[in-house]
Amino acid sequence: MGILKIFPLILALLGCPLFVVIAALALVAYSGVDIDWSVIFIEMSRLAETPMLISLPLFIFAGVLLAESNVATRLVTLSRVLFGWLPGGLAVISLLICAVFTAFTGASGVTIFAVGGLLFPALLKDRYSERFSLGLLTSSGSLGLLFPPSLPLILYGVISGARIEHLFLAGILPGMVMLALLGGYCVRQGGGSVMRGRKRAEILPGGTESAGPLAALKAAAWELPLPPIILGGIYGGYFVASEAAAITALYVLVVEVFIYKDVPLPRVPAVMVRSMVLFGGILVILGISLAATNFLVDQEVPDRLFSWLQQYITSKYTFLLVLNIFLLLVGSMLDIFSALVLVVPIIIPIAQAYGIDLVHLGIIFLTNLQIGYCTPPVGLNLFLASYRFERPVTTLYRATLPFLGILLVCLAIISYVPLLSLFLVELWGGG
Amino acid sequence: MSWIGSIWRGIRTWAVRLEEFFLCLLLAVMILLSCTQIVMRVFFSSGLPWAEPLLRHMVLWAGLLGAAVATRQNKHIVIDIASHLLPGFLHPWLALIVNLFAATVTSLLAYAAVIFVVNEAAYSQGSAIPGIPFWTLGLIFPFCFTIMAYRFIVLAIATTRQALTGKEPA
Repeated sequence: MGILKIFPLILALLGCPLFVVIAALALVAYSGVDIDWSVIFIEMSRLAETPMLISLPLFIFAGVLLAESNVATRLVTLSRVLFGWLPGGLAVISLLICAVFTAFTGASGVTIFAVGGLLFPALLKDRYSERFSLGLLTSSGSLGLLFPPSLPLILYGVISGARIEHLFLAGILPGMVMLALLGGYCVRQGGGSVMRGRKRAEILPGGTESAGPLAALKAAAWELPLPPIILGGIYGGYFVASEAAAITALYVLVVEVFIYKDVPLPRVPAVMVRSMVLFGGILVILGISLAATNFLVDQEVPDRLFSWLQQYITSKYTFLLVLNIFLLLVGSMLDIFSALVLVVPIIIPIAQAYGIDLVHLGIIFLTNLQIGYCTPPVGLNLFLASYRFERPVTTLYRATLPFLGILLVCLAIISYVPLLSLFLVELWGGG
Repeated sequence: MSWIGSIWRGIRTWAVRLEEFFLCLLLAVMILLSCTQIVMRVFFSSGLPWAEPLLRHMVLWAGLLGAAVATRQNKHIVIDIASHLLPGFLHPWLALIVNLFAATVTSLLAYAAVIFVVNEAAYSQGSAIPGIPFWTLGLIFPFCFTIMAYRFIVLAIATTRQALTGKEPA
């Protein structure tokens, strides 16, 4: 039995699709206790009873379409024209843009490619050091995961059963704290002051023609209403989060294809297929792990883990510390979707036994996994940035260190101040 | 014999087109049907009773078909450590082992899915959507996992060729 379980795990490290690895482990485990293999599909067909699941493919489609369009350029132009005069100007703007872009396009990596590529030359031109700029963009590549309507928030809701409306609210203040601390660091690093005395046209990305604030506002006029539509619709009670996904998908489709014409109509099917391939990759892992983790829960593995842990860890605070270290490790190895799907079902019973709120736990999870993205040696953002900016990974390790430090401070605050996550939920969450 | 090959390639091209067409159709219907539901509820306080369960099953269908396409494009989620750490000449051999293993596991899953559907057809009654028995919705499982198994075998053959000749597959 041992070898049958170790072999798939080794293959996982050698690049075997994760769903195959999990399925192999589930098949072996089921045989071990004489459960019929078809139970895997009884579990998987329960996915068709999850009302929230539909928001995943629809938000993925909207995100892929947005990433395909020129929204990144419009966003950069607009925020430079509006906020370029602030101290720490462009660096702070980069943080905000990355956060908004990631919240809407969900899967990280897109941000580094689409937005990072525009901002990197601009930052250098504004005389920020190369090291600072690289670190900033690499660590911001996954910033914004805590803001609605980010996909990982939704996926956590689907897996844990926490209400997505609550999760959307819970992420806002912790995300703001993260932005504020990183922004403070950027202001201290300075650099933005060179902008005064130069013409605005010089600082715009891609050398676009000089655009006044009004022209930039007008250019992005169709994309700006998107956040208020989503949030206003959900919290105004017009539609639930899964329906917000449908509205967003339709809105983005109409705006990018028919109004801006950024994505020509004949390219839309390819974009659709690409987003469904992304969704399919997540869904098989989700479906198969549902079977695998239910097996573990049936075998009372979390309970046993809890009673074993309790011998060493009695306080909730120590548990949070251990949990954070564990999740940082997981986050640097796995991408955020598989990490959530595999780890959340096992950790939830344990965390609840230690008295941690389900929504707060979600925010802790996402913060850790976000940081894991830029943690050496194998954080995904580091490799993406190394590829995009053509610098050795080791350079990026050094460049991201100060940002990593700040993010870890944020993690500590988020973990040990539950109110930060729960305040808005209690205020506006309703019943 | 070349005409057999060209017919086979023709079938494959059309199968791929059909698959992608169906995927786009599913996504388009999901978007439009959801939006119709919202409009009907907000403005006319009504709705289509069958739309909700239909949408939930369509999500599953779209995801599994997407996974089948992901197999063809070799785009499943993996832990990508080996390709950074191991020397290049080992990669095709590793890919061969991985693809053979994946083909085996997905074949077993396809087999388990057939048993699942047979059981459902025999024992489960009723349906979530009028006119569509419950078990027919489950047909997507054996269908997609069979396709995935087939594609992992194709990938395994391609990687064998690559390992032996050292050339990138066409």
